[in-house]
Amino acid sequence: MSTTVEHAGGIADHIHPEPQGFIRRYVFSLDHKIIGIQYLITGFVFLVLAGLLAEVIRTQLLHANGGFVSNDTYNEVYTMHGSAMVWLVIIPLITGGFGNIIMPLQIGARDVAFPWLNMLSFWIFPVAGLMLFSSFLIGAPVAGWTEYPPMSLQAGPGTSMWAAAIFLVGVSSTLTGINFVVTMFQMRAPGMTFTRMPLFCWAQLATAPLLMIATTALAAALAALFMERQFGVPFFDPTKGGSPLMWQHMFWFYSHPAVYIMILPAFGMISEIIPTFSRKPIFGYKMIAFSSMAIALAGMMVWAHHMFTSGLAPYLQLPFMILTFTIAIPTGVKIFSWVATLWGGKIHYTTSMLFALGFLALFTLGGITGVFLAAVPFDLHVHGTYFVVAHFHYVLVGGSLMGVFAGMYYYFPKMTGRLMSEKLGKWHFWLFFIGFNGTFLPQHWLGMLGMPRRVPVYDPQFQFWNDVSTFGSYVMTFSILLFFINVLVSIRNGKKSGPNPWGARTLEWQIPSPPHYYNFKNIPTVYGLPYDFSQPLPYKGLEEELTDSPVHVGAH
Amino acid sequence: MVEHRTSAVTLGRGFWTATAVFAVLSALAIWFWTTTPLDIILPPVAAEPGAQIDSLLRFMAACGSALFIFVAGYIVYFAIAFRVRKDDAPDAIGVQVHDNHKLEFWWTIIPTAFVVLLSILSVRIWYGIQIAQPANGLTVEALGHQWYYTFRYPQIHGEITDEMHVPVNQPVVLNVTSADVIHSFWVPAFRLKADMVPGLINTIRFTPTKVGRYPIVCTEFCGTRHGEMDAEIPTENGKPNPGAQYFVVDTPANFEKWYHGWQVKNANASDALPTVSTGAISLAGGDAKAGGALFAQKCSACHAVGPFSQRIVGPGLKGVLHDPAHPNLVDGDPATPENVAKILQNGYKGDIGVMPNEAANGLSDKDIANLVAYLSSLK
Repeated sequence: MSTTVEHAGGIADHIHPEPQGFIRRYVFSLDHKIIGIQYLITGFVFLVLAGLLAEVIRTQLLHANGGFVSNDTYNEVYTMHGSAMVWLVIIPLITGGFGNIIMPLQIGARDVAFPWLNMLSFWIFPVAGLMLFSSFLIGAPVAGWTEYPPMSLQAGPGTSMWAAAIFLVGVSSTLTGINFVVTMFQMRAPGMTFTRMPLFCWAQLATAPLLMIATTALAAALAALFMERQFGVPFFDPTKGGSPLMWQHMFWFYSHPAVYIMILPAFGMISEIIPTFSRKPIFGYKMIAFSSMAIALAGMMVWAHHMFTSGLAPYLQLPFMILTFTIAIPTGVKIFSWVATLWGGKIHYTTSMLFALGFLALFTLGGITGVFLAAVPFDLHVHGTYFVVAHFHYVLVGGSLMGVFAGMYYYFPKMTGRLMSEKLGKWHFWLFFIGFNGTFLPQHWLGMLGMPRRVPVYDPQFQFWNDVSTFGSYVMTFSILLFFINVLVSIRNGKKSGPNPWGARTLEWQIPSPPHYYNFKNIPTVYGLPYDFSQPLPYKGLEEELTDSPVHVGAH
Repeated sequence: MVEHRTSAVTLGRGFWTATAVFAVLSALAIWFWTTTPLDIILPPVAAEPGAQIDSLLRFMAACGSALFIFVAGYIVYFAIAFRVRKDDAPDAIGVQVHDNHKLEFWWTIIPTAFVVLLSILSVRIWYGIQIAQPANGLTVEALGHQWYYTFRYPQIHGEITDEMHVPVNQPVVLNVTSADVIHSFWVPAFRLKADMVPGLINTIRFTPTKVGRYPIVCTEFCGTRHGEMDAEIPTENGKPNPGAQYFVVDTPANFEKWYHGWQVKNANASDALPTVSTGAISLAGGDAKAGGALFAQKCSACHAVGPFSQRIVGPGLKGVLHDPAHPNLVDGDPATPENVAKILQNGYKGDIGVMPNEAANGLSDKDIANLVAYLSSLK
């Protein structure tokens, strides 16, 4: 990359003509913005499916003796709910979806580094998703999204399908990670140093290595599980000399970092939304950027805290416990910085901002119960109970999914050129917030009192709080229905937004909505951080973006 | 780039009033967590070191509540105090502060100090649970099965398939493992659990302090009837689940009685860990009546005494040997008494499901002969 000094735009400093024809433009597109929207649409379709599965779970638990579906169906349903939500909803929405749409625009690039690879990453994902859901036809997996052997070795043929599908999703994730890292290292606009990069990009930069490194451990584990199930190669079956705990180590070596894959980009989104709607610079830019990296690094080293009751040598529990505690420090720094950003601001109550504020409160609660669970003595009591279920839903729904909604209301005008309905959006927020807490708050004490996870029937003394939880989940589901109505109506009939409806200062808002195929007519030069509301915009070379001046389309 | 800083950032009276309110609320929360009985959210503690775990929870909940009150409180207060107002210019901006090193220093140092304190406390309690518990107590072994527990005691032959009993105030060393998939042994009132992993022995040590019957709960998913391993759960017909067990803490006198009762009952049982026997089983002299009782105890969790289509986990077995519509068994062999015995002996594993073998089901050769006699009698 010899031209990086004069043209940090590097390989993207010339403009390709826009492809013609529906297939090349909207189906097998190379454009990062279209691919990102494809990820969002596919992810939301899977959100509907996995959300309906969640309602089957909650409806079954309306009565202590179940009775809505059979035990075996119930086991299939919660396994598929968890697997789909993690691998087909949150990760694709938040990395492949928002990462693809926003990150290249924010660093002033015309596309990601490897557009063909990007298209491949995307198309693997719906195929893998269909494979995963088709396992219902042959008997879906039953042993939970963690699929601990030997249980997962006993279960029906759907488990092998599950392993193959998740393996493919992993390939898609890994390729996306590589693509994003190279893009952010090689394709930043001139003057866009790392210390001027928007915090959403920093969050993606912290996430990408996790996608690349941790996912390989999962791939190895899935390949081993598949070979053991299909060809009898004894990796995990103890009666043949295998080790069931080896699976747990390999699985969590991926799946703990996966938690950060799902939350760090949401952090990034929040770091964009809060300063914009407070009309203030983000408080402690460097500390927020650095803490993302610290969380990603520490997050790679704490996987065994999922295994405190599994038979880890007692002394080995200590380093994992203490390292997990330390993650609270950078996470706390982030939360405090966001709260401090609110102070002295001029806060605009858009739906996006409401979701960001809701995120702050709910994620804080999820983080606090995470510290509880990291303490070995307390974990010995609540491991494998509804307390854990409550904790990770506060992080993944109260955190990641709220982040996705905040991002959707914020970036919808950039994607479509139209605003979403604020009125419907506020109904969505308040119903979601109330429904969410109604669903998951009672699960904390259900778990502490003695209700285990993954049960289709339970002790009748827990029925009242389970009913509260179920009704909460109905309210939450209804609010998501409002969200989809809002999206579908606003695409056609929403108010025209113009290029920058929120008065935001990052690069993507300085160009038309939706952006042109080539993003920027001229690659801009960057002179400072994007968050100084009292200063002129720190960009040069954007004068022509909002004019009708023609763009020079060059060939290779 | 010119760094823009507002020279004097003052916090104002509202801020300090709000801070004082949050401090009072936090103090109330800390008072609540340190003094209130936890009965609403935890079953009453019935073993040492369970109380230590409760005290750690009280500490974490008190600190966590205080933190949450401050974070959520400031969010709500700032959101109200710094909302954009009607008379603000449309392009009004907030106070342009970028950072404050002193503030950032303190909000890094205070959580770090908290993490150090929590680590010290947790390690101490961890030591109390994992290391310092007496190692010379009553040693009991618990085995997880799909879907019940069995127990082995010193000087009692064979396995105990009833409830587990221990005397109050005497240390217990509980070794757990599994005969099939991963299960878990959790007594919520003791605050302790250990996974039962096949091929691995996990140990928990504790001293029960209150006489009573406590349900044992499985917290690792172990198959179709995982949920029903909790003794408090009635089955569909309202009867207690035959597989679910209680952990009974007895007075020493009652424990002695129970213990001797099992010594006598199991006097002739084999101590060998159950394994699959080899060779064909003699079916001569099978007792259908004894087989029927055994069926209710061992098989009825998964198989109904009904037509083939009446499926629980496996098919209904009424007429398994006399059903013209199903001349073959699940493994493809013809439905003869010898082939039924073979499945009972070796179990079955295939696409449609899994049936445990005689070792996992705790069946002797005699039991199998009785069961086959019983199944033959069903028409």
